[in-house]
Amino acid sequence: MTNQAVKKIPVILDGDPGHDDAIAWVLATASPLLDIKAVTSVCGNQTIQKTTYNAGRIMTLVGLNVPLAMGRVKPLVADAIIAPTVHGNSGLDGPALPEPANKPLDIDACTMMAQVLEASEEPVVLIPTGPLTNVATLLLLYPHLKNKIRHIYLMGGGIDFGNWTPAAEFNILVDPEAADVVFRSGVPITMAGLDVTEQALVFPEDFERIRAVGNPVAKVVAEWLDFFYGFHRSIGYPGAPVHDAVAVAALIKPEIMTMVDMYVEIELTGDYCRGTTVGDKLGVLGKPANAHVIMGIDRLKFVDLLVEAAQHYGKEA
Amino acid sequence: MNKQPMLLDCDTGVDDAVAILLTKYLNTLELKAVTTVAGNVEVEHTTRNTLQVLELVGMEDIPVYRGAEKPLLCEAVTAHHVHGQNGLNDMTLPKPKREAETLPAWDAIYEFAKKYEGELVVVAIGPLTNLALAIAKYKELPKLLKRIVIMGGAAVGGNVTPSAEFNVYADPEAADMVFTCGAPVYMCGLDVTMRAYLSAEELDEIAALGSKQAVFTRDVMQGILKFYRTYKLAGVAFHDPVTVLYADDDSYFQTDFAGVRVETKGRLTRGKTVTDLYSDKQIEHNAYVVTRVDRDIFKKRVFEILAKYGK
Repeated sequence: MTNQAVKKIPVILDGDPGHDDAIAWVLATASPLLDIKAVTSVCGNQTIQKTTYNAGRIMTLVGLNVPLAMGRVKPLVADAIIAPTVHGNSGLDGPALPEPANKPLDIDACTMMAQVLEASEEPVVLIPTGPLTNVATLLLLYPHLKNKIRHIYLMGGGIDFGNWTPAAEFNILVDPEAADVVFRSGVPITMAGLDVTEQALVFPEDFERIRAVGNPVAKVVAEWLDFFYGFHRSIGYPGAPVHDAVAVAALIKPEIMTMVDMYVEIELTGDYCRGTTVGDKLGVLGKPANAHVIMGIDRLKFVDLLVEAAQHYGKEA
Repeated sequence: MNKQPMLLDCDTGVDDAVAILLTKYLNTLELKAVTTVAGNVEVEHTTRNTLQVLELVGMEDIPVYRGAEKPLLCEAVTAHHVHGQNGLNDMTLPKPKREAETLPAWDAIYEFAKKYEGELVVVAIGPLTNLALAIAKYKELPKLLKRIVIMGGAAVGGNVTPSAEFNVYADPEAADMVFTCGAPVYMCGLDVTMRAYLSAEELDEIAALGSKQAVFTRDVMQGILKFYRTYKLAGVAFHDPVTVLYADDDSYFQTDFAGVRVETKGRLTRGKTVTDLYSDKQIEHNAYVVTRVDRDIFKKRVFEILAKYGK
């Protein structure tokens, strides 16, 4: 193998943790393929103060010692929506976590993203797992840096259905205007929407496989899953859909997924459809595809990936 | 067994024409009246086509009532590129021997609903303008109907736009009025109708049944077959015929009770039938959404019925 073959991919993790963001970051940090340059927080599952605090706690837990910057206090245009029913009052309820070892930097999220892109010799991958507020702000303020973005792997949307409304998925619904900026940007996009993430179910018996790994990170992940599953069990799910981890998995393990290239546009108006990711499956618009939309995943291999990630953090406590 | 009275509201249309052919030999429904509406083509065409197809099948005794020439609020959209200039793939049928009745479609719907109080099944396979006007004019109408079975919408996807199906897109306001009218509404949308397709070879097998009605079925569907090929689909969807067959016998379909509302304001999603079938978020359940069909049984039923026309 040449050096080229093992060269790590520079990435920025951008999210609103959130249990599934947290598990996505556990997966990203464990991956030998990724070189995490920075972490940015965004408001979504909880307020920006809470998601930023949670980001710091997760980074300390997994030993991710990179800069953290806080995002905007609200979406680009819309008012904030939060999801305490899913993630609890803290945004990351469940197990006790260490206090953040470091404070967030004094610069805001999109400025730090721009600094990372400028400093990087090669284009950087963005992995947004919350509303797209920071990524859109970056694109609006620093259009010249667009070609320094290699690819955006995002969790958001759903071609065939929604969750927060019948037609819209939470991350896109929270900031549809930001999503519109991103999908129109021309940057290569891989979309992990509900089409795939609702298949990325982790069952209670899978929680036990992760718990049995035994190290502190594995135990916390299992307890996050316990909490996250509570909400989903109450609405009839057989397991926890670990939405955000699919966006990371799409980068490090695309072979376990099926994707369809499609033209995707964001509905910004409407009584029922604001925030819908309108995907032209049949090609009736005749417009070129702007997204690789993930439509399926090998669930067992996805779970194996999470177990292997947990093992990365050591054998026993 | 006493058959249930049926009123067919249609925008004939190539697949509407085939739907009319099927109504002659249904198991549980008996066609009592047909109302026409603008949709696939203009209402002059849909009315004439309806009269012609009824004559083709020897049902000249079924009254035809002409309906709305344009949608409630929006501009008309047509689908001449799929149905031809005359709406029947530009095939020429003999000039109809009679004309439509003078009573407008919306009044006819109400009159038949009253006549068969609690029994009438309305099968609406075009834009829902006539039904909406009838609902607007006669507030007791929904309570008089047994059920409304529509070809329209989709829980997932669209055909005229990525998120909207033609019949609902053509008159979204009317469709929302129907979905919220209070009568039981059954939605045969693209979820099921795209699965009820027949291939070019199967259309030829239909023609080989030998009757002029069977040959007409093959021939009238040729233009739309070409259209479907541009989307690389395996055959041509029998949207309207499968809706009539569902109304007649739902035993080989899957139906789920769900909340359905029509988006009327979205810039990209106008005409989308927003359903809560696959979402965590639930809205008030008001419609039966047909999601699956056993295609083999569907195909068997089409052949069975068309075979009854003899050689």
